[in-house]
Amino acid sequence: MPMGHCLAAGSQASVRGVEGSDALLAARLAAGDERALAEAFDRLASSVYSGALRVLGNGSAAQDVVQDVFVELWSHPGRYDPGAGSLRTYLIVLARHRAVDLLRSELRRVARQERHHRLTPPEPPGTASDEVMAAETASVVRAAVQLLPDGQRRVVELAYFEGLTCREVASTMGIPEGTAKSRLRLAMSKLESVLDRQLLEST
Amino acid sequence: MTTADRVPAALPAGLRERVMTASLLAREAGQPVPPVPAISGAEAFGRAADAFYGLLAGLDEQDWARPVLRDLDVQGLTGHLIGVEEDMQRGLAGDPAVAGADHVESTQDWAVRQAGRSPALTMRDWRRAADRTLAEARTAEAGARPGAGARVGTDDARDSRIAMHGIRLPLDDLLVVRAFELWVHENDIRRCAGLVPSVPDPPVLRLMSDLAVRMLPYAAARTGLRERVDVHLVLTGPGGGTWDVTVGQQPDDLGPGEQGPGQDVAIVTDAVGFCRLAANRTTPAELGPHVTGNAGRAAEVLAATSTLALD
Repeated sequence: MPMGHCLAAGSQASVRGVEGSDALLAARLAAGDERALAEAFDRLASSVYSGALRVLGNGSAAQDVVQDVFVELWSHPGRYDPGAGSLRTYLIVLARHRAVDLLRSELRRVARQERHHRLTPPEPPGTASDEVMAAETASVVRAAVQLLPDGQRRVVELAYFEGLTCREVASTMGIPEGTAKSRLRLAMSKLESVLDRQLLEST
Repeated sequence: MTTADRVPAALPAGLRERVMTASLLAREAGQPVPPVPAISGAEAFGRAADAFYGLLAGLDEQDWARPVLRDLDVQGLTGHLIGVEEDMQRGLAGDPAVAGADHVESTQDWAVRQAGRSPALTMRDWRRAADRTLAEARTAEAGARPGAGARVGTDDARDSRIAMHGIRLPLDDLLVVRAFELWVHENDIRRCAGLVPSVPDPPVLRLMSDLAVRMLPYAAARTGLRERVDVHLVLTGPGGGTWDVTVGQQPDDLGPGEQGPGQDVAIVTDAVGFCRLAANRTTPAELGPHVTGNAGRAAEVLAATSTLALD
């Protein structure tokens, strides 16, 4: 076959062959149709936002997730495969990953903050809304930690909230360092699972 | 609480605008993804010529005698295209005789002349004619054409208009028209020989789509569409894109501020099908576009597209 043309059988571009509105929407997004993006937002943003809000407990962070999800859809519409499921499911799974990533960061931030508070005198309080949002986020993370078995919960508390190294955690708890590491890995895996489940339940 | 019980949270004010702004900063509206590399009209013509030649080289003896278009068999159609190349070269040289010449009549001798010849000779002559067109077009494109009066590599050189067969276009656009013509006739032959149709590669298709869209206002005016219609045209698939074009402008004596709001019509169809419509090789009904807005106006726009006859 000479350069320039390919056989039509290899083209899946025809709108006539598109089944369902999600595939058509995806084809329009790929063609740069900004109205398709607006339609996707109007139809699905509320579900994406609700799911993110339930996991993160923080309206501002949930809005960031919504923005990330729709910018991703617009920038890389080809990553959505209409044959694999609905656009709604795709966006919600995408939102879940973003929310979990945010929570991981938040877990680390809360731990750093805990360590900071132990080492420095208290600062003047922030605004009421800041405190509410921070408290909401911290409570979600702390609630998830409380669901862990005792041994794993203690490892997380020592490692993240008290800032101990794995060796120090092992020494404090009187267990081998390898055991402390494996409990920490297990605990983190369970935490992600718990946070994932919260999002799935919310959607 | 079950999933069905959950009521989605109300979206915060301003979130929609924030998301749309961030998205359009990340990727400009109208541009397809994956991005399509830009090529020149000469490159598009060269690729279409290669594809056409590749088809001819694979035909057997009986295919050359198949009736394909009007009263022409495949060999006669190839002869017609030799004639088009000859006229194109005269147009490039500024010969006024080809400016208003009829596309079919002017090349009929070339078509008739192929009867009784070996298909291999017809194919060779067409290839040579197309190669000459391409070489002269590239020379003209570079602004080196004697007497062109344009400096090498300037916009003047690229934008100098060439007149042939009743159309007068910048060279780059004329070469896209010619790529369009070769692709359409390639598929005429494929159809009569029972071969699978071909589609242009995305950079060529993008140029063809863009050209057809830009010519749409003229086609609409020719078909008598007077009421203003703002067309949001989405052509899907590789080589497609999104265009906003206004057709059926009101009379010139109204200034831009005096023109009333037009009908808003959105048409979504695939880029290959749209180009086939612009070549009058399919009908709006066969195309089956997705239309929102005034269906009657959309039908008129699609009917106007089919009169472009880019073959």
